[in-house]
Amino acid sequence: MTDAPARRQKVWHDLVAVADLEKGDVTPVSLGARELAVYDGLDGITVSHARCTHGAANLCDGYFDGRRIECPLHQGLFDARTGAVLAAPARLPLRMIEARVERGMVQVLI
Amino acid sequence: MEVKTPITQALQDGVLSRQELKALMRRSDLPALRHLAGWLVLLGVTGFLVHATLGSIWLWPAMFLHGIVVVHHFSLQHECCHYTVFRTRWLNDLFGTLCGLIVAIPHQYFRYEHCDHHTHTQLKGHDPELIELPMSVWKYLWYITAIPYWRSNLGGMITRAFGRISDADKVFLPKETWQTVIGEARAYLAVYAAILALSVATGSAAALWYWIVPSLLAQPVMRAIRMTEHVGRPNVADMRENTRTNMTNGLVRFLCWNMNYHAEHHYAASVPYHALPRLHEKLKGYVHVEAGGYIGAHREILRQLTGRQPRADLRSGAAE
Repeated sequence: MTDAPARRQKVWHDLVAVADLEKGDVTPVSLGARELAVYDGLDGITVSHARCTHGAANLCDGYFDGRRIECPLHQGLFDARTGAVLAAPARLPLRMIEARVERGMVQVLI
Repeated sequence: MEVKTPITQALQDGVLSRQELKALMRRSDLPALRHLAGWLVLLGVTGFLVHATLGSIWLWPAMFLHGIVVVHHFSLQHECCHYTVFRTRWLNDLFGTLCGLIVAIPHQYFRYEHCDHHTHTQLKGHDPELIELPMSVWKYLWYITAIPYWRSNLGGMITRAFGRISDADKVFLPKETWQTVIGEARAYLAVYAAILALSVATGSAAALWYWIVPSLLAQPVMRAIRMTEHVGRPNVADMRENTRTNMTNGLVRFLCWNMNYHAEHHYAASVPYHALPRLHEKLKGYVHVEAGGYIGAHREILRQLTGRQPRADLRSGAAE
C-alpha cells in the first residue's frame, strides 16, 4: 500500500525588492516559469498571474489606476486586489498570489 | 501560450521603453472635455448652416457638411470602446452609447466585435471588421456608397432585436453576452421608434434634416476613411505591415479624434487619442505611414485594383 503523495507545503519566495517596483504602477516579474504582475496599489502591494484570463495578453503592459488593472489588448478590467472581474470581455477572475513585504522585499507564498 | 500584443512586440524590439509607454498611457478627463466643447461648437456651426439653408438648394451641401461631423461620432465611439477618452470609465460608456445611437452602431456589440478586430487584425476569416480589398473599381465604388454598410449594420441590429445571433456574430460574441446585445439592439430600436413617434406627433422634420439625411449623405466619407486604415495592406499578422497611418491636417485630426494615427493605435490601444501624435514620433520608421494621407491611400488602393501595383491580398505570406 502506498501513501498518496503529500501535498507540497507552500513557502514564501523572495520576488522583487520594493525599491525596484514601478512606483504606483504594475511591474512584470518572473519566478521560474511563472510570469507575475506586482501591483504597487493605493491599498498596498498585491501579486497576480500576469496573463489576462480572456486573451492571455500581459497585464503588466496595461493601464493600472491604483486599484484596477485594465488589459492592454481588449480593455477587460480586473480588481488588482482581489482578482475579481469588473468589466467584459474578461469573464474569469484573475489568479492572485498571496503576497507580503518583508525587509523591503516583496514575497509570494507559492 | 505566449500571446504577444503589439505593445509587447514594440517593447521587445526596443522601439519604446516601458517608462515612455506608461507616460503615453496616462489618462485625463480634461483633453476630451476640451475636445468635446470644440466639437459642440463645430456641430452648432454646421447645424446652423442646415437651418439657414432650409428651403433652398444650398440645403444639400450644408447637410453634407453637417453630415461629415455627424458620421464622425463614430470616431469618438471607437475611442470610448477602448476606455481611453476619459479617465472616468463610466463617461466612456456614456459617450460611447450616445455616439452609438447617433451612428446606429450599438456600443456593447461594437466593443466585442472590435476586440476581435484588434486580436486578428486584417486576417481573413478571423477579423470581423475586415474590409476586403475590392476585386474591381466598381466594387470599390459600391462599398463607398455605404449601401452594403447600412444593409449589414441595420440588418444586423434588426436581426439581434428579433433575438437571433448570426453565425458570424457567434464567433466573437460569447454566449453570456447574447442577451446583452439582443437587449441593446431592442433598446436602440426603441429609441429610434420614440424619435419617429415624437417627430410625427409634433410634425417636426428636424431628425430628418439634421441627422438622418446628413448621415446618409456623408456616410460615404466615413466609408472612404475607414478603407484607408487597412484596405490594400497585406493580410498578415505583423502590425508593422497590416495597418496604415495617414498623415492629414489638423481639422481632420480633430474630427477623427487622431484616428488617422491608426497604426500607432493598433500598436498600443491603451494610449489615449490625445497622446497618439507623440506615439507617432516614437514609432517613426517602425509602422507604415502614408505621407500622402487619405488621398494617397486611395491612390494606392486604386493602383492595386487596376493592376498597376500588385494586390496586397495576394502577397506571399498573406494569411487566410
